[in-house]
Amino acid sequence: MDGTKVAPGRTAGLYAGAAVLRLAIFTLLPGLANLLTGRVEVSTPVTSFKRQGLFLYNRNVSPYDGGVYHQAPLFLPLFSLLPSFSSFPIFTYLLYIVVDLLSASALWRIADSGEAGSSALFTSPRREKRWSGFGIAALFLFNPFTVATCIGRSTSVFTTCAILHAIAKAVSGAPFGAMVALSFASYLSMYPLLLLPPLILLCYDRQCPERAINSGFRFAATCVATVAGVLAVLFQLSYFITGSWEFLPSTYGVQLTLSDLTPNVGLWWYFFIEMFDSFRSFFLAVFWLHLSSYVGGLTLRIRRQPLVVLTLLLGIFAIFKPYPSISDTSLFLAMVPLYRHVFPLMRYTFVIAAVILYAAFLGPAFYHLWIYAGSGNANFFYAITLVWGLGQSLLVCDLMFAVLRDEWEVERPEMVGKEIRQI
Amino acid sequence: MTIQQPLDKGAAAADLQNSAAVAAPAATTSNGLPLPARKEPPPEKPSDVRRRSYIILSFWLIVLCLGLPIWWKTTTIYRADLPLQEMLDWADGKACRPVFPLRISIQANALQEQEAQNLLRLTQHALDDLNDFSGHHLRLQLAPPAASENRDHDHDSVLTIRLLPGETTTASFDPHAPVLDITYPPNTLPSPTSSSSSLATYVAGQLRSTFAEEQATISYLLSTNSIPSEHRPQGLSPDVADSLSKRTTRSLKYAPTYHLTFSLFTSGPLPSSWDIEDAIHQYMKPVLDVLSPIHNFTIDTQVQLYATPGVQNQVLNKEDLSSFINAAEWPLSPSIGGAPTINFVVFAGNQTIAVPPTQDSADSSGTAPAPHSWLIPQWGTVYLLSLPSDTAHLSSEALKQPLLTFTSHLLSLTGMPQSGSLPLRLSTLARIRSADLLLRASSTLGSLARLALALPSISIPSSVADGVSKTMAHLRLACETLGRPEGLAHARVAEAEAERAFFEKSMVGQLYFPDEHKIAVYLPLLGPVAVPLVMGLLNELKAWRKRRREAAEVAQGKKKE
Repeated sequence: MDGTKVAPGRTAGLYAGAAVLRLAIFTLLPGLANLLTGRVEVSTPVTSFKRQGLFLYNRNVSPYDGGVYHQAPLFLPLFSLLPSFSSFPIFTYLLYIVVDLLSASALWRIADSGEAGSSALFTSPRREKRWSGFGIAALFLFNPFTVATCIGRSTSVFTTCAILHAIAKAVSGAPFGAMVALSFASYLSMYPLLLLPPLILLCYDRQCPERAINSGFRFAATCVATVAGVLAVLFQLSYFITGSWEFLPSTYGVQLTLSDLTPNVGLWWYFFIEMFDSFRSFFLAVFWLHLSSYVGGLTLRIRRQPLVVLTLLLGIFAIFKPYPSISDTSLFLAMVPLYRHVFPLMRYTFVIAAVILYAAFLGPAFYHLWIYAGSGNANFFYAITLVWGLGQSLLVCDLMFAVLRDEWEVERPEMVGKEIRQI
Repeated sequence: MTIQQPLDKGAAAADLQNSAAVAAPAATTSNGLPLPARKEPPPEKPSDVRRRSYIILSFWLIVLCLGLPIWWKTTTIYRADLPLQEMLDWADGKACRPVFPLRISIQANALQEQEAQNLLRLTQHALDDLNDFSGHHLRLQLAPPAASENRDHDHDSVLTIRLLPGETTTASFDPHAPVLDITYPPNTLPSPTSSSSSLATYVAGQLRSTFAEEQATISYLLSTNSIPSEHRPQGLSPDVADSLSKRTTRSLKYAPTYHLTFSLFTSGPLPSSWDIEDAIHQYMKPVLDVLSPIHNFTIDTQVQLYATPGVQNQVLNKEDLSSFINAAEWPLSPSIGGAPTINFVVFAGNQTIAVPPTQDSADSSGTAPAPHSWLIPQWGTVYLLSLPSDTAHLSSEALKQPLLTFTSHLLSLTGMPQSGSLPLRLSTLARIRSADLLLRASSTLGSLARLALALPSISIPSSVADGVSKTMAHLRLACETLGRPEGLAHARVAEAEAERAFFEKSMVGQLYFPDEHKIAVYLPLLGPVAVPLVMGLLNELKAWRKRRREAAEVAQGKKKE
C-alpha cells in the first residue's frame, strides 16, 4: 500500500462492496436489522430509529409529546420526505448506506491529507509508515461496529458523518465548511460542540496561505461566530417545523439531565439509578464537567497535532458521554488507524484488543442473562460495560502515550528505541 | 550598618561559591562520566514548564469557575423561612382562644319592651350562673319586633326563642328551623323589680340542656388537644368524657367529601335487583341535602349474588358481628379517589342477630328493639334483611327500613350530636367540626415547626412556607369567625393547607440524612478525581517557588557582579 494513488476502479469496488454487504443484510436478514434496532448497544434513547416521532409529526401532533422522542427536529422532515418505511423500506436503507459511504469518503480525505503524520508544527519521523486512505476507509466500512450501527439504523450515523466531514474540511483548508459541519453535528447530538477548540486549531494550522487570517484570536472569534450563527439558523428552522421551543428540553435537556435511564454501554445510567435524589443534579454537573475538562488539557498538551486531540476526544466521548453506543466507538476506531505510524510505540495492543473483543462478545450475553433469562441482574451488564470502558480507555491512553513518545523522540533523538519510564 | 555591609557581602559570596561547588560535580556526572546505573534527565525546557502550568491551570479553572458554583448551587439545602414561634403558638393554643359566642334571640311579641328587657336580663343572669365554661358563651338578645313578621329566624343568631302566652310552661322545637317555642302562663312573668323569675330560670335551663351536648363535645375536644389549662373547662365528668370518646372514635375523620357505597349481598340467586336509586332519593336524599353545607357526598351501588358472609352461624352473637364482613371476597374497596368511603351493606339472608339478655341499645347500634343492623365504627353499617325466598326484586318500599337505619347511622358516623332538633344539631355539628379542624390544623402546624427545629438539615421548599402562611391566614380568619358558617370554610382550608405542607413530598424523602453520609456520597468519585488535581497543583506550586528562589539568587549574583 503506497497510499496516494488508487485506481478509480478500486474505489468504486470498495464502496460497492460495502453497499452490497449492507443491502444484503437488510434484505436477506430483515430479522437481524430489527433485532439490532432494539439492542441497547446500538440504539440509545437519543439515537434510536424506533423512537422516531414521525407518526406524531405526520399527524400534526408535537413529536415530543409523550417523552419518547429525544432527537433533533430536522430529522422529521428528512424522514417524512422518504417514502413510507413500512411500504418501501429500501429508501431508508439506501439513505443509511449513502451516509455511511459519505463518512468513509471523508475519512479517506483525512487519511490522504497526511495530517496525522505531519501537521503544521510537527512532523513525525515515522510518517512514511502508514496505511492508505483506501485501507482506512475499508477498515471503517467493514468494521462490524459500523455495519451494526448502519443496520440498526441508529441516527448517530448522521452525527458521525458530520464530524468526519468537519475534520475533512478542516484538513483541506476550508474552515467555513468545517464549522458548518461541526454545527450540524452539534445540532444533532450536542456533544460535538466540545470538539470546537481543537477543530479551530486544526483549521488555523491548515488555512490556505492566500486567504489566511494571521491573528489567532480573530480566527477563533470568526469560527465561533460561524458556529453560533449556523446553530441559530438550525434552531430557528426547528422552531418553524415544530412550532414551539419544546424540542430544546426534550433533546438537549435529556442529554443534560439524563432523565431517560435506559441501560446502554456507558457508565452513567447505573450510577444515576443508584444516586440519591438530592445529589443527582450535582453529580450530573460533575459528570459533564469531567467530560469537558479533557478538552482544555489535551488541546494545550498536544497543541502541535490537533488531529490527535480530536481523535483522543472522540475516544473519551465514546466512554464518558451520557448515551454512548457502539457507533461512537466505531467513529473512534475509524480515526485510530490514521496513527499507524505510532502503533509500534504502543505497549498494550494485545490487551486492548482482547479486552474489547471480550466485552463485545460477553456484553450481549450478559444483557440477555439479565433482561430475558432473568438469571443475572443489572450488575452483570454494568460490569461488562465497565470492561468495555476500560478497554477503550486503555486504547485512548496507549495512543496518547505513543503520540507523546513520538514527539519526545524528535527532541531526544538519542533515546529512540530505548526503554523509558513514565513519571 | 555601614560597617557591617562588606561582611554581609562576603558571606553571600562565600555562599555562592559553595553552591557552585555543589553544582559542579553534578554537572560533570551528567555530562562527563556516563553513569550506567542512573542518569539524570536533562532539564526541562521553559516552554514545557509553561505548558504544564497552563494544563494544570485549565483543569483548575474548570473546577473553580464551574465546579464550585455548581456544587454550591445544587447541594445547598433550601430552607424557606417559617414563622416557627407563631406556629408553635398556634399549636399551644396561645394564638387563638376558641370562643363560641352564640347569640340567641328572643321573640316576645306579646310582651312589652320593658317586660321583655327585664326577662332577658334575668335569663342572662341565670345562664351566666349556670355556665362554667367561658369558651362556650350564650348571649341573649331581643329580636326586633319588625323581624317577628318574618317567620324565618334571624341568621346571625343560632337559635330563636319564641315566647308565646299559654296555659302551662312548655317547650318544643320547631322541626324545620332552629326555633324553640316556649309557652308560659302570664303569671310567671317577672315583675320589673324582682330579681328572679321562674320563667327566666326555666328558659335558662332549657337553653342549657339544649347546648349541654355541644358544650361537652367542644370541651372534650379542647381537653384532648394541647390547650393550656386556664382555657380548659374543668367540670367534665368521667362518664361524659367516656361516652364522648366512644362517639369520637365511632365517627369518621372529617373530610369535605364522603363516598357512600350501597351494596346488596344475597346468599342465594335472588333478589337480583333493587330500586336503590329511588330509595336513596326518597329516604336519604333529604338528610344528604341538609348535610350539604358541611359535606359533599358521592354515591355508588353494587349487587353481588351468592355472597358468603364471614360467619355462617344462623344466629349471630355479638362477637360474630365484627367478623361478619367477608373482607377477602366482598368487593368493598377501602377508598375511591381519596374521599373516605362509608359502606352500607344490605345482606339478604336468613341470619338473625341474637338479642342480648340485657338491652343496652345505646351501646352498639341504638336502633330498634329487634335488631337487624349494627354499626361498624368508622366503616359503615350492615343491615340483615330477611326476605321470602322467591323475592326477585327489592322495591323501594322494602328498602325503606334499611335506608332509614342507614340514614341515622350516617348521622352518627359523621359525628352529629344526638339531641335537639335537626337544624340545631346541624349547626352544632358545623361548630364542632370547625373547632375540630381548627385544633387539628394548629397541631399540624406545631408538628411541622418542631420538625423544622429538630432537623436542621431538612430542606423546606417554598411551597411549604406558602402553605404555612395560607394556613395561618385562614386559621386567623377561622378563629375570628368561629361559630359562624364561614368559620367552618376557613378551618377547612386551613386544615387542608396544613396537611399539604406537612406531607410535602420533597421533604419526606430527606428526613434523615446525617453529615457522615455526605462523605460516603462524595468521596468514592471525587476522591480519586481530586488526588491528581491536588498533587499536580502542589507540585506545580513547589516548582514555581523553587524557580523563584533560583531566579532571586541569580538576580542577586548579577547585582553583586
